[in-house]
Amino acid sequence: MNNFNIVGKNVIRQDGLEKVTGEAKFADDYSFPNQLYSMMVRLSVAHANIKSIDYSSIENDPEIIIIDSRDIPGANYIGAIRQDQPIFADQKIRTYGDVVCMLVGSDPEKLELAGKQVKINFETLPTLTDPLKSLKKDAPLIHEQYKDNLIVHYPLRKGDIEKGFSECDHILEQTYTTPFIEHGYIEPEAVIALLREGNKGVHIIGSIQNPHTTQKVVATVLGWPLAKVRIQQAELGGSFGGKDDTMNILSARAAVAALKTKRPVKIRYSREESILESYKRHPYTMHYKVGYNNDGKLIAMKIDILADGGAYASMSPFVTWRTVVQATGPYEIENVWTDVRAVYTNNPYTGAMRGFGSPQPIFAQESIMDEIAIRLDISPDTVRRINGFKTGSVTASGQKLHDHDVNLITVMDRAIQESGFQEKWKLFKSQKPEFGIAPDRDDLILKKDEFIDPDKTVYKGIGLAVSFRGSSLGAEGIDTAAAYLSVQADGSAYLLCGLAENGQGLRTTFSIIAAEVLGISVDDIFYLDHDTSVIPDSGPTVASRSTVMGGGAVKNAAEKVRTALQKFLTEKWELSENDELLFAGNKVSCKRKNKQIGFSELCGLARNKGVNLAALGWYAGPQVDWEEETGQGDAYFTYVYGCQVAEVSVNISTGQVAIDRIVAVHDPGTVINKVGAEGQVFGGVTQGAGYGLWEEISTHQGMPRELNFDEYLVPTSKDIGKIVPIFVQGKEKYGPWGAKSLGEPTLELTAAALANAIRNAIGKRFYNLPLNLEEIILQRKLRKEDLQRGSM
Amino acid sequence: MRTKVEFIRAETINQALQLLADNNKNTRILAGGTDIITGMRMKSKRFANIDLLLDINSINDLKGIRLLEDSVTIGSNVTFSEILENKIIQDKLPLLIQSASGIGNLQIRNRATVVGNFVNNAPCADSVPALLVYNAKLRIESLKGAREIALQDFLVKAYKTQIAPDELVTDIQIPLANDFCGTFYKLGRRQSVAISRISLAVLAKLSNHKIDEIRIASGAVTPIGKRFDDLEEFAIGKNAGKELFIELAQKMAQQILDVTGLRWSGFHKIPVLQQALYQLLLTTIEL
Amino acid sequence: MKNIEFTLNGFPMLVYVDPSLRLLDVLRNTLGLTGTKEGCDIGECGACTVLLNGKAVNSCLVLIGQVENQNVLTVEGLSSHGSLHPLQQKFLEYGAVQCGFCTPGMLLSAYALLQENPHPSEDEIKDAIAGNLCRCTGYKPIIDAITAYSR
Ligand code: FES
Ligand code: FES
Repeated sequence: MNNFNIVGKNVIRQDGLEKVTGEAKFADDYSFPNQLYSMMVRLSVAHANIKSIDYSSIENDPEIIIIDSRDIPGANYIGAIRQDQPIFADQKIRTYGDVVCMLVGSDPEKLELAGKQVKINFETLPTLTDPLKSLKKDAPLIHEQYKDNLIVHYPLRKGDIEKGFSECDHILEQTYTTPFIEHGYIEPEAVIALLREGNKGVHIIGSIQNPHTTQKVVATVLGWPLAKVRIQQAELGGSFGGKDDTMNILSARAAVAALKTKRPVKIRYSREESILESYKRHPYTMHYKVGYNNDGKLIAMKIDILADGGAYASMSPFVTWRTVVQATGPYEIENVWTDVRAVYTNNPYTGAMRGFGSPQPIFAQESIMDEIAIRLDISPDTVRRINGFKTGSVTASGQKLHDHDVNLITVMDRAIQESGFQEKWKLFKSQKPEFGIAPDRDDLILKKDEFIDPDKTVYKGIGLAVSFRGSSLGAEGIDTAAAYLSVQADGSAYLLCGLAENGQGLRTTFSIIAAEVLGISVDDIFYLDHDTSVIPDSGPTVASRSTVMGGGAVKNAAEKVRTALQKFLTEKWELSENDELLFAGNKVSCKRKNKQIGFSELCGLARNKGVNLAALGWYAGPQVDWEEETGQGDAYFTYVYGCQVAEVSVNISTGQVAIDRIVAVHDPGTVINKVGAEGQVFGGVTQGAGYGLWEEISTHQGMPRELNFDEYLVPTSKDIGKIVPIFVQGKEKYGPWGAKSLGEPTLELTAAALANAIRNAIGKRFYNLPLNLEEIILQRKLRKEDLQRGSM
Repeated sequence: MRTKVEFIRAETINQALQLLADNNKNTRILAGGTDIITGMRMKSKRFANIDLLLDINSINDLKGIRLLEDSVTIGSNVTFSEILENKIIQDKLPLLIQSASGIGNLQIRNRATVVGNFVNNAPCADSVPALLVYNAKLRIESLKGAREIALQDFLVKAYKTQIAPDELVTDIQIPLANDFCGTFYKLGRRQSVAISRISLAVLAKLSNHKIDEIRIASGAVTPIGKRFDDLEEFAIGKNAGKELFIELAQKMAQQILDVTGLRWSGFHKIPVLQQALYQLLLTTIEL
Repeated sequence: MKNIEFTLNGFPMLVYVDPSLRLLDVLRNTLGLTGTKEGCDIGECGACTVLLNGKAVNSCLVLIGQVENQNVLTVEGLSSHGSLHPLQQKFLEYGAVQCGFCTPGMLLSAYALLQENPHPSEDEIKDAIAGNLCRCTGYKPIIDAITAYSR
């Protein structure tokens, strides 16, 4: 183990001070003289051809400026993989969130009235809301330029699946589904575009997750060179993957409007507008067929997954790629046959969200693992111990896991030990609550013997779930990052990494890394505002890659400066090549020579001698590879492992589930920032719990029903019991001192652990998230449109 | 959001009544404002075309909770937080405390008033079932005079009450129910800040294990908060016990189905309601 | 339009505004005090929490006319003379701040609680901040920070 001075200790956030005083400036906190406001015009329909737009009743109003696709100098269609999404939908509406045009003016209220006067002549088209129907041969095309509604299909083939099924003792087939999920960042979207003087282009300040992605989109839409588009990230009020595509589009709209009006233009969304237009987590339908032997060994697994991509491709191809790599879970299985498809529908479009294609299959696969254990009458940890990855195991994609600590069983054992899992699981399993009423029973009046006494209504349960997760982008993306460090003559330093802060605290983590290398205090590091004009593109803040990639780049930059200082001191103190210099406690010392100098003094001297104390650090992810047709290859350069154990109390009279305790054991490699790491666990588990029990965007004919926090229920302070975070710090050769990923693993396991705990408590398996009141009692969801059902 | 409405803050009841009497204006009384301000923002029809918001928060005569000989009077300015902190209510009206503590969140309870909760008569107004079983009465004033009306009669249908445009509810009078035992129950989707799915209130008086009097009210499962008179009569004189409680629960469910028909949420709510009432009765009435 | 006097962060304040404007809009737009945040506009998220006469309220549900002659405290009034209130310090030490968007409202809810109840139990803390949604921290570090301050 390294001997660290700062790494792994509790450090106060870099940006904490301004956040507790209210001074931190979020996007909507910026205002500029002469600023205009904006309002989006939409059609209340999921799928339609636009025939004409009539602006006649507002077009002569000098106070209202109309912005639509005719004002776009560059491309109107954008998208990371497929350029299928319009900035302004001028031909066709594909989902409710689509914006036909935007009105700009100085009086928001006037804009709202004017918006109602835009007359749009349209013809409705059949609405596709079921991904399965979208795949049908005769289904109407949502995007005419493609031959069908399929966005992507990833096959993965390993071994001989038919042989596997024919040779195993048992086969279990089950289908699981998950809903649309809203990111639920508390700050709604906001952005301001300002024209810069002369020919300098446009300056955009916004609640932007990935400034460099936004820069590319805005440049494409304006038809400008990248360097004329300067994106500044405002303090970001949460993102969780959600302020990417939407913010790129809003930024482009604001830029187009600023260009036309020559005035600053602000777009700010209400919560309703935010939920209506922004993308969601993919709903999945997952069919699993698993062959296993009497001894618990998995022999074959056939997986068929259908993801609802909604109206636009967005990140679907990347999200579902992670799914295909990880769909079997962390189990070594000889024969695997997986198909993952994403398809277009007229539902809200789906894209990146913390977890990114993993929470869904984990819910399915970890539920099934428990079912296998129960059928074989062995404990859930045993079936995982038998099949779980160990050093040297080969994944479904044929990747051999070695050269890092494959800590799956280790994290599981820690979680079991901490929670007393085995005894509790056996004990709770022996409870046999009798309850329930058939979901479609006509007579809703309970029979005498169906009434439950108060002391027989609450049952405890415990459940576990494990996962492995590829660190960073994997074989689908260019994985590099840059960092800029400029040490000043007094030893203080500016630092900036090309990966943008999303609220999780990467400024702090990066400052710790730089301070550790230079042996100075974190307080001496001044983290700069993120601005595309000063730092190279480092790819997006996604895939829990910031610490491993950005941290690598920061460490590289700091080491460059340290090397320069070392060289300077070696000459000054006349040291030999092998003399070791210690950078610690704001001092640099050489033991052998018994010499010591303050870091600040050293920087002054070096600066005076013309030593360069600024550096651009770089980190490139190791090589990975992937074979599209068979889904074979080294998908990610390394993996992280996690196990969560959930304890619940289930009320069988009402369907309420109370979360008593969640033990979360993760191996994120080296922990750089302890407070930050624990914060990731608390936050991730809480979001995961919301996914498991309450959260859902349901749609009616493609229209989202839950548009604000009164109906979209994110967990409050009262909803989560105790969360116990534990870190097992495995050895890893990549990243800064072997630090890897944590943000997403914390979220992806919780719903599965909860489902297994509920199964343990009441003996029922649930197949459809969220496990809300109705699901627990009826094993189905109830919707407003269900009125016609039943007898009356 | 900007609201182009006039705003006036009344300092006395009389001033408020004068303003309400001006029938050229669509005037809305603003107490806590937690319903009205959101309603106006959401452009809800119920709050459309308001000309004047009449703030009654600084009318001192509408503040205060008073214990009289056989009743408690609560002014129409009194917020849920004030209810929760009040010793008299804690001692005398436990169901009101139970229902108030589950309302919204602290910020809402600090503003929202008990009277406002039922003047808007939303199906999920949590305090209504508790007030109904306490036989709460309202005092309503207008320039023409004052009248009293039982809460039960005041509530007409969802979002509709017996109040006239020129009237102001000045207080609620709640007769003491010292020899009753009772409980309030609420089921929400989340532990807090949840709109109730089901709410129930029960008050009962027993002698010799027989029901002398019982009062049962529900919220959220019916279009408005509602007392179940037939059930109450049916129970009188019967032996308090599982048998009776099951019957009451079944009858309540049947009544709701008869009156409102089966709604989309009924597949869950109707069975759960029966369990909840049964269990509530069992825990409230010591056998 | 009307002159409205009230006390803001300990100082007398006079604004000339439409009394039916929301307190939140007056704070943010008229007075430029952007520490108070807007997250839902319907009283569900608590990002706009301020103290009105010492009680936590959602400033999106209060009209400026209702604030006349009353006492308002926003996050900007928590620290005095450039030094942090100890509660703010605890928020920093315990990692109660991630993205920081919920932080101003959260601090005010916690502050109001601690004024009335200097040694709250965990359940009392949870109840006091149940109207403040936080999507980042899972609440635990916030509860810990408040607990630490109360000791
Ligand atoms: S903005 Fe006021 S509570 Fe959300
Ligand atoms: S810190 Fe981000 S919402 Fe609380």
